[in-house]
Amino acid sequence: MSRIGVFICHCGENISRTVDVERVARDVGRLPGVAFSTDYKYMCSDPGQTLLKKTIQEQKLSHVVVAACSPRMHEKTFRKAVEAAGLNPFLCEMANIREHCSWVHENIEEATIKATEIVGMMVERVKKNRVLPTITVPVTKRSLVIGGGIAGIQAALDIADAGHEVVLVEREPSIGGHMAQLSETFPTLDCSQCIMTPKMVDVANHPKIKLYTYSEIELVEGYIGNFQVTIKKKARSVNEDTCTGCGVCMTKCPQKKIPNKFDQNIGMRTAIYIPFPQAVPNTPVIDRENCTKFKTGKCGVCQKVCGPGAVDFEQEDSLIVEPVGAIVVATGFDLYTIDEKPKGSPIKGYGEFGHGKIADVIDGMTFERLASASGPTGGKILRPSDGKEPKQIVFIQCIGSRAREKGISYCSKVCCMYTAKHTMLYHHKVHGGQAYVFFMDARTPGKSYDEFWRRAIEEEDAVYIRGMVSRLYQKGDKIVVMGSDIAVGVQVEIEADMVVLATAIQPQKGADLLAQKLGISYDKYNFYSEAHAKLRPVECATAGIYLAGACQGPKDIPETVSQASAAAAKVMTLFSKDQLEREPIVARVREAGCVGCFACKKVCAYGAVEEKEIRDRQGNLIKVVAYVNPGVCAGCGTCQATCPSKCVELDGYTDEQVIAMIEAL
Amino acid sequence: MNDTLKYAYYPGCSLHASAGEYDLSTRELFSALGISLTEVPDWFCCGATPAHNVDELLSLSLCAKNLELAEQVEGDLAVACASCFSRLKFTQHTLEENATKRKQVEKAIDAPVKLDGKVKHLLEILAKDLGLERLAASVSKPLAGLKVACYYGCLLTRPTDVPNLDCPEAPTIMERVVEASGAETVAWTHRLECCGANFTLSRPGVVLQLTNAILDSAKAAGADCIMVGCPLCHGNLDIRQKEIENVYSAEYNLPVFYLTQLVGLSVGLAPDQLGLNAMIVNPTPLLKEKGLL
Repeated sequence: MSRIGVFICHCGENISRTVDVERVARDVGRLPGVAFSTDYKYMCSDPGQTLLKKTIQEQKLSHVVVAACSPRMHEKTFRKAVEAAGLNPFLCEMANIREHCSWVHENIEEATIKATEIVGMMVERVKKNRVLPTITVPVTKRSLVIGGGIAGIQAALDIADAGHEVVLVEREPSIGGHMAQLSETFPTLDCSQCIMTPKMVDVANHPKIKLYTYSEIELVEGYIGNFQVTIKKKARSVNEDTCTGCGVCMTKCPQKKIPNKFDQNIGMRTAIYIPFPQAVPNTPVIDRENCTKFKTGKCGVCQKVCGPGAVDFEQEDSLIVEPVGAIVVATGFDLYTIDEKPKGSPIKGYGEFGHGKIADVIDGMTFERLASASGPTGGKILRPSDGKEPKQIVFIQCIGSRAREKGISYCSKVCCMYTAKHTMLYHHKVHGGQAYVFFMDARTPGKSYDEFWRRAIEEEDAVYIRGMVSRLYQKGDKIVVMGSDIAVGVQVEIEADMVVLATAIQPQKGADLLAQKLGISYDKYNFYSEAHAKLRPVECATAGIYLAGACQGPKDIPETVSQASAAAAKVMTLFSKDQLEREPIVARVREAGCVGCFACKKVCAYGAVEEKEIRDRQGNLIKVVAYVNPGVCAGCGTCQATCPSKCVELDGYTDEQVIAMIEAL
Repeated sequence: MNDTLKYAYYPGCSLHASAGEYDLSTRELFSALGISLTEVPDWFCCGATPAHNVDELLSLSLCAKNLELAEQVEGDLAVACASCFSRLKFTQHTLEENATKRKQVEKAIDAPVKLDGKVKHLLEILAKDLGLERLAASVSKPLAGLKVACYYGCLLTRPTDVPNLDCPEAPTIMERVVEASGAETVAWTHRLECCGANFTLSRPGVVLQLTNAILDSAKAAGADCIMVGCPLCHGNLDIRQKEIENVYSAEYNLPVFYLTQLVGLSVGLAPDQLGLNAMIVNPTPLLKEKGLL
């Protein structure tokens, strides 16, 4: 026979104002199985918990029902108290008589009756509760970091510095990401490469970091603490172990006119190349699509001139499996392109800005490459069309961003600041030039940010025009910018030599496909979703996977670095224990009844359902049944509802428990 | 096989007055293409630009009543005038989204509002319903060598999500239609700029300035002529062209055709079937030079 203790909380007056708590305690005290019932002003307070613990021991209670607020609020609190008193925590249930009763009713008589019924249901339910042991999962103390931009680099260095191995995977031939492309950075105007490259070298030299560049994630299996990641290492055609990085191959390569993506296609590179001089690793890669040897079979100059014989035309893609316990996703961003978008895409292009067909209409990243000392013009601001210095330049903000009719409603966050920076760089480099900025609002929250854009206007002569541009068109060698100045209420036309569009930040192409491999969720723009917008901003809902940087939403460098360090801290917390403890609210398969239809496997969003072979003593296969991996199961109950033969039960939420509740009504 | 395209036809006031040649060429062209047009019985003014600036309910009710009248005729509603097209589409859009206004309008016109019928501009019928391939197959006198500047004006494609005729800021539907007739089109900068139609009487100075920029841009792009789908734009570009030339000391001499006139020529219709004699800027020298007359 159960000896159930029921504790009715007043919640100050939150409950007792509309529920006669003493009457509830008296009435449920008469229910079969209830050995003790009482009411108390604040059950969650220290004296309240002491009362609970003391009563469990004095009354030798077998089960506990606390009638108070939502279990989301205090279930953990009371289960902990129950455990401290020597009972299994899963023998304690909460009856929600605040959110579900006192807060939403006014009539005391009716609310009291309803509260009594809610508590009565939980009394019947708790009788069916079983002792559930805590689940432990071993942890592989190595981490995968996907993406070698500043976010991935920071996360990898932090985790590695804490003594844990890191596998860093980068899609491009070098790490560095977009930050390596930038000229100077706001709000201090320090050179991006100067602060970035030491970190890149640290990554290359770190004994705990295993770097895979020119590689992609092929497959992710497993669960928190125990992932198996298959990495595809694309054929570099250059042996990384023997190459010394001397660069002779690149100087001798006859293919010299290939647009360099790193320079936004305004600079040229060879077919065997490193994307930029400070690349890490300093090992070239052969772009097979543009290499004469791969196209025609003739050439091979690079191989002939290579001293250590590192060039290998026969190299093939290879697959490597790495076991890791945690994953940091840091795949970064891409920029909106202003061309018209293909049919069916919810995001529309900007036809009115010349389809991206006017050569001297460039985006912000291209301007960064023009302004960068290591860029294709050696840091001179020159027009892509004719190499002349633009004497009038127009910057247009919010291209793509905050434009619902174009399909993107969010603010890209960094453009106000980098446009202010661009006007300053322009002012420093083009003497006698004039910069204009069309803007909707200047959004400059951040340390020293507003001062920075005020400086652009007050000290660096940028003319800010509040209003948007309706159209651009080429007229001779000028670009006519037609816009409005809403502060004055007039239409303005500026004949510019060059136009820079602050295009929106979007997730990397293929971000959705990677999310599907990882089993993490993403929003309609393909930004990855955090588990909680405020309180769990660096964790995915999928256990063991963390987010860093602009793959989650537009971010500037300091914010990205902060989040990367936060993600690293989360990984270190996970790695601080040898075994991972987790709540035993997981699904279990009754193998005797399972027919192996695997309907449960199809609906499981977490990949927790596996196929398990049942064999007799001689080793003959009897049948294949479903098995729920308790390490992966999130306890959502979808499999339980789906199973056609009613052979999946969710511990803590069994059919028996729920039916008992219904019957109590 | 019955693949005859059938439409209810809403000419609008302009086509019965200043734009008579648009009406004439529309009827002749559609008849030549085997497309049936039945004029909506008892149709009246849609309110065009004045009504919605004065009284929204009046504007919506005028259009809603015309839409109701159009229900009597089989087929979607074919509209020639860009302004009527815009108002009718706006009415459908507004009444679909706003139940309160819909009720007010139903009370005003004393009939239930029906929004199932499709309102289509002539361009849509030629480019989509008939199709560019069938249109091209009907061409007997290709407009070879004629360089056309297609002028959309404000209303045909905008605002986003109301007319849904084509991309609001970078449309190509006019170019596609006239290219199917064998003409060349020019890439020019002012094809979507406003001609100032609303101010044609109240502030002619503004209109001259805006229209001059359009003519200048078309000329600079090497166009022989301009093609329009709106009687108001036509009025400004054609009727005022001489005046603009005088004020701005320019020489344009750009005939301004309705789309139905140019397409009509290509399917072999005669000048008097297309009302070419009603054009102020005489197109005859140009058409003769190109061997199209």
